[in-house]
Amino acid sequence: MNLALLLLLVNQAWAQSRTITGKVTDAASGQPLPGVAVIVKGTTAGTATGVDGSYSLNVPEKGNTLVFRYIGYETKEQAIGSASTVNVALGVNSEQLSEVVVQVPYGSVAKTAFTGSEATISSSAIQKQQVTSVTRVLEGLVPGLQTTNGGGAPGSSASVRIRGIGSINASSDPLYVVDGVPFDGTYSSISTDDIEAVTVLKDAAASALYGARAANGVIMITTKKGGKGKPRVAVNFRKGVSERGIPEYDRVNSQEYYELMWEAMRNSYAASTNPATKLPYTPAEAAAAASKNIAGPNGLVYNPFNVAGDQVIDPATGKLNPSARLLYEDNWSDVLFQDATRNDLNVSISGGAENSDYYISAGYINEDGIAKFSDYDRFNSRVKLNTAVSKAVKAGMNISATLSNSNGNFADGTATANPFYFSRYMGPIYPVWQRDGEGAFVIDPATGERALDWGVPGQMGSRPYAGNSNLLGSLGLDERSTRRSEATANAYLEAKFLKNFTFKTTLGGNYYNGLGTTFQNSLFGDAANVAGRSTKSDTRQISYTFNQVLSWNKQFGSHSISALAGHENYSLESRFMSATRTGFPFPGTSELAPAATAGASTSYTDEHKLEGFFSQVSYSFADKYLLSGSFRRDGSSRFFTDSRWGNFYSIGAGWRISEENFFNAEWVDELKLKGSYGEQGNEDVENYYAWQGLYGLGWNNVNAPGSIVSSLPNTNLQWEKNASFNVGADFSLFNKVQGTIEYFERTSDNLLFEVPLPTSTGIKSIWDNVGTMKNYGWEAQLGYNAISTSDFDWRVDLNLTSYKNKITKLPQEEIVNGTKKLMVGHSVYDFWLREYAGVDPANGDALYYKDVLDADGEPTGERTTTNVYNEGTYYYHGSAIPKLVGGVTNAFRYKGLDLSVLLTFQSGGKFYDANYANLMHRGSYGTHWSKDILNRWQSEENPGDGKTPRLQNGISGQDGASTRWLFDASYLTVKNINIGYTLPKSLTGKLGGATLRVFGAVDNAVILTKNEGMDPQRSFNGTSDYTYPIYRTATVGLNANF
Amino acid sequence: MKNILKKLSPLALAVLMLTSCEKDYLETAPTQSVASDEVFKTVDGAFVALNGTFRSMWTSMGGSHGHFGQKSHDLTMDLMGTDIVLHTRGYNWFTGEYNLSAYASATDGSRSGLAWEYYYRTISNANRIIANVDKATGNPADKEYIKGNALALRAYSYFYLANLWQHTYKGHETAPAVPLYTEPTTEGKPRATVQEVYDQIVADLTQAETLLAGKTRKHISHLNAAAVKGIRARVALQMEDYATAAAKANEARQGLAPMSATAYTAGFGKANSEWMWGLEIPNDQSTIYASFFSHFDAKVVSYASLGLQKKITKELYDQIPAGDVRKSVFITPGTGTAKLPDYNQTKFTLPVAGSWAADYILMRASEMYLIEAEALARLGNEGEAQTVLNALVQARNPAYSATQTGSDLINEILLQRRIELWGEGFSLLDLKRTKTNIKRPDGDGNHQAALAVVFERAIDDPTLLWRIPQSEIDANDALAPADQNP
Repeated sequence: MNLALLLLLVNQAWAQSRTITGKVTDAASGQPLPGVAVIVKGTTAGTATGVDGSYSLNVPEKGNTLVFRYIGYETKEQAIGSASTVNVALGVNSEQLSEVVVQVPYGSVAKTAFTGSEATISSSAIQKQQVTSVTRVLEGLVPGLQTTNGGGAPGSSASVRIRGIGSINASSDPLYVVDGVPFDGTYSSISTDDIEAVTVLKDAAASALYGARAANGVIMITTKKGGKGKPRVAVNFRKGVSERGIPEYDRVNSQEYYELMWEAMRNSYAASTNPATKLPYTPAEAAAAASKNIAGPNGLVYNPFNVAGDQVIDPATGKLNPSARLLYEDNWSDVLFQDATRNDLNVSISGGAENSDYYISAGYINEDGIAKFSDYDRFNSRVKLNTAVSKAVKAGMNISATLSNSNGNFADGTATANPFYFSRYMGPIYPVWQRDGEGAFVIDPATGERALDWGVPGQMGSRPYAGNSNLLGSLGLDERSTRRSEATANAYLEAKFLKNFTFKTTLGGNYYNGLGTTFQNSLFGDAANVAGRSTKSDTRQISYTFNQVLSWNKQFGSHSISALAGHENYSLESRFMSATRTGFPFPGTSELAPAATAGASTSYTDEHKLEGFFSQVSYSFADKYLLSGSFRRDGSSRFFTDSRWGNFYSIGAGWRISEENFFNAEWVDELKLKGSYGEQGNEDVENYYAWQGLYGLGWNNVNAPGSIVSSLPNTNLQWEKNASFNVGADFSLFNKVQGTIEYFERTSDNLLFEVPLPTSTGIKSIWDNVGTMKNYGWEAQLGYNAISTSDFDWRVDLNLTSYKNKITKLPQEEIVNGTKKLMVGHSVYDFWLREYAGVDPANGDALYYKDVLDADGEPTGERTTTNVYNEGTYYYHGSAIPKLVGGVTNAFRYKGLDLSVLLTFQSGGKFYDANYANLMHRGSYGTHWSKDILNRWQSEENPGDGKTPRLQNGISGQDGASTRWLFDASYLTVKNINIGYTLPKSLTGKLGGATLRVFGAVDNAVILTKNEGMDPQRSFNGTSDYTYPIYRTATVGLNANF
Repeated sequence: MKNILKKLSPLALAVLMLTSCEKDYLETAPTQSVASDEVFKTVDGAFVALNGTFRSMWTSMGGSHGHFGQKSHDLTMDLMGTDIVLHTRGYNWFTGEYNLSAYASATDGSRSGLAWEYYYRTISNANRIIANVDKATGNPADKEYIKGNALALRAYSYFYLANLWQHTYKGHETAPAVPLYTEPTTEGKPRATVQEVYDQIVADLTQAETLLAGKTRKHISHLNAAAVKGIRARVALQMEDYATAAAKANEARQGLAPMSATAYTAGFGKANSEWMWGLEIPNDQSTIYASFFSHFDAKVVSYASLGLQKKITKELYDQIPAGDVRKSVFITPGTGTAKLPDYNQTKFTLPVAGSWAADYILMRASEMYLIEAEALARLGNEGEAQTVLNALVQARNPAYSATQTGSDLINEILLQRRIELWGEGFSLLDLKRTKTNIKRPDGDGNHQAALAVVFERAIDDPTLLWRIPQSEIDANDALAPADQNP
């Protein structure tokens, strides 16, 4: 646009502020200190030093003293005078508030001058954990934040919730911002070694300037930048090995399995009529029939024992025939899972000349999955360059490019091709390799190797579990991959003019291209009868954010005012194309060209646009009284013209009591009270055209185009509003303890809700703004420098969060959704289930509680039990939302040796473990069993554990979702152990002043849950699925800086 | 100060110039959908809506491989009856439908839930067409064609809703059927009576027949006047209105002879001269494993071949005489294999190797012969009934000749109906209208306790009624929990 015109204007307007540069070093070692906060005293202007300790700062006209603050070091104030370079050396001290410069929307401020709620994680904390996606390091480090573990798929990311669950049908994900630009790529495309800091903005005062999309908080990622001076090289290398972090459920063995299945079959006969006698089966008849049929086509089909199928189980005892010997027992987990290696190398070079600085980096990660045939690799690079054109004009670019490739994007859910579902539930008697009658391997004549067993009639029979599949055979021949190329390019131009004015414009773009392949091979399995099926899909997404910000800073004596105003627009274009063909002449390729038969193909484009105007004013008096306010107006393409604009605002105030003259408690180093209130917006629903009444296309009838109604219009649809209240205190005491305690209350109003319509009207829901939900609670962060000497340091950091979620308004009285029910007064994740009452000791039936009803059909308050599942009464049974989440970091240093241990935990909350429920079935032929099934009811004399009903194949009306599968979700995880040794100068001096640190680390070292096999950190809503389990990684590595 | 303002003003101007986006910047439109008001501007657009509605009759639903539109409900209605045996449990699809336990569930993803959504989706789309097509610009004859099709589809959908959510028409006219909508709405309605629903069905079919009279259909999936008469005959038979049934069935089958014996063994996957209405499904629009043929054809890799083979009962098989071509579409006892066991059906097989392209039968002339014969027999016109029956069955078995009278004749026609239309979705409604209890034969070659579980159940047992989805009761102000089927 009109950039040229602007440049001319800027040159006319001569800047009155000046730029001060310098370098900050450790007073003892002379080593440069990166990340030191440099603040102009009495103002909110500030910056942080780069990796080489250097900084460059625009100092307003009135500013004449710089304050240098760094964790673990003494704060230093330095008069500027007429100097343009100010170098300082900081001495070690441990009396400071942590992380003193806060990254905020469109700039940064001193933490002491900040009225909002935030938390910052430094690069050193990030680099302790060996992760590919930065989302995985946040757990346990930031109060107010709750994460999933993200599962174990290579290259995958964790999900994050800041201060509760913000929405019901719209997104509850925070906004990710990288170097000031909202980020649309994959999180794992950002190299964690490039990250200088991650700042989590939690309340309205902190994030309201991103009003449109900040309702669920903001995660700001700041990448490293170069400092002045000679080039510095940093090399990080890590090599690790991963294994399952959550063990598989303990399951029965082949012998137990056969006996148990026999029992399930016998009990099934015993419950039915004998066609021969027209009478119920007698116990003896039932036992005989079960022994006869257990290995037959309506039983287990396979017989892994050395006796005939009808001889395996003795009908008199129900036990294995004493002469039956097991011929084989293969372990599907062993053949499908592996110890996985991980390699991670990242190199960066940074530095700067008088007017410019640069940071360039390149890295490579290769991460194998703990499931075979899955891996992720990534090549990443970044260039960051800033240059001062003149004293008044600065410009810079930050470009990153990533190529990544994922293999093994396995099918999920109950698809046979999902290796986790497949291997967990495959009965132990079903072998990987085909066996003959003697149990010997069968050799495939085509290959000369052991033939795999596919569970089909032509081999050992029609396997009752997942017939026609063998994942060891098919996954290697199939392909389920995504090849991505991603880039971000941010450019800015900043100009200072007149007195105290700065104009900055930034254009930031994200590019994503993903080529997906789903290929089912032509030889075996699901697509064998069509000679292979391949789907190629291409997703190409380009988005950009363009903003123009005018800011102004002014000092009047003790008054300091800063203001900014700006405009921003965001545009996303996402193009998708896919095509499927079948009929491959030869194995070995997934490309479509050789395939004979056309399948479905499609393409479409989606667009999303936002535009906003914003302003902010901050005022501080004598660094004691702080006030800030902001206003933003945003429009979204998701809403109709007349309803699309929303107004958002925040106000914040702070009072630094410790700066008051009357305040003379010596033991209080810093005490600030702060409060804020504001409203932010959320428009992030999965549908880009939420307001529109549409007919879905592509419902073609052979060659005639077709369309059916897909959504109803709602021209009144508008922004979901999130009102956020925060009050808290930052403090530093006894030169030892630093912390923040805050109370928050978030009210999501005008919830973007898919309001259920009667299905009989033909459309199941309509988007509308109905409903209100609150999240409220408290969070605390405490740091304690327990010991701090020149040789030995020990620091403890603790953070805790507790919140409650409550629905206060809904479009209809109640909405049942799976195992949950939404209702006013309850949380969004309150379980609504039938209540399991254990086993009827007389007959082994499963029992459920049931309300006793009076004549009017109202519950009398008394309860009875029923063995009819459908008659059981539903009740609320607690929430998936935990009572308390948190993390503790213990960090030690003894001379060059350092050790840190991060523990994370959750207390309370419920988890519905359907994975386990499916291992406790009543006798589905072919499906595996948990060891707990051994505690089943067998007879009145042998009633088992009272929780596990009798086995009976095909029983109906007895089982279903109930509290039987609801467990305490509390967990404790040793998330990270990192032990390192920094080589002494005497050794590394010869390397030209290099610092070298070698380390060993274990991520997810120990995961303790209430039940073995259960993974309560899988989801926020407390339900399980059949996905990739989290892994444990042991790593050795090297950090070198030259 | 003045000076500053002077210097500032061009800057302010520059910022403004930079910062206002185009006025329509925030206007976006999807490419996978089209605005509703665009659809009915022209008859061409209305045709798009009509074709989409037909397509929705075979797409899979709810991510379930047991839901593929009308034919999945047809299969369910057969499995509820007496004549199809599931071989083994296999991948477990339709086993709950077969052992009659599936209908106790009222979740959205259950058989009842997805069937309810399926039929009402069809009705909603038909209602939108009926409400809007007259305003579209275009040829009036095209509008009549479109409207006639939509009316017939609506009637067809209400027919199955009424029969699945309530007992049969006769004797239950005042019982609650299902909510009745004849125009687009978002307001839920209470259950209309069976009579009210049937009144609407008859009215819609009558109007559709008029609108479609003399018009040539554009595709086998569309309805022409003959197919509408066929539905009318089917409805009349269910209502025990035999005069109408006989008359409409006769009109409907005019010019349509029973298919040849060769055609009968060709797999029922490709429309032939006898088909009156069917869905043509090309390979690229097929639903692969989630399809009718996946559940029937055990010759290819399919759910049927992986344990869920569909077999005829020995009881019914033994009643097909040797020399009847219909005996040849089942595996002769003693010749079965693990994949194609004894009594396994080969009536429905994929027509092309390596392709899932296969058409779904919705109506064929044989059904009209059977309706006409039964209705005539029940009206006492036995001679004509025998003639019509012989015209059909002799095409299957040249040696056949029906000579029975009275109830023997009716029973013979019903037997021929079970044989001729095996697997085409008629079992349940026939048992309902004839008030015949479900009585499944047991023993070798027949139903097995392990899977069938239930061998006998009264046809008016309330557990056979499908459930109204709980979400419907929750969201529909006109329905209370007490309105649920017992």
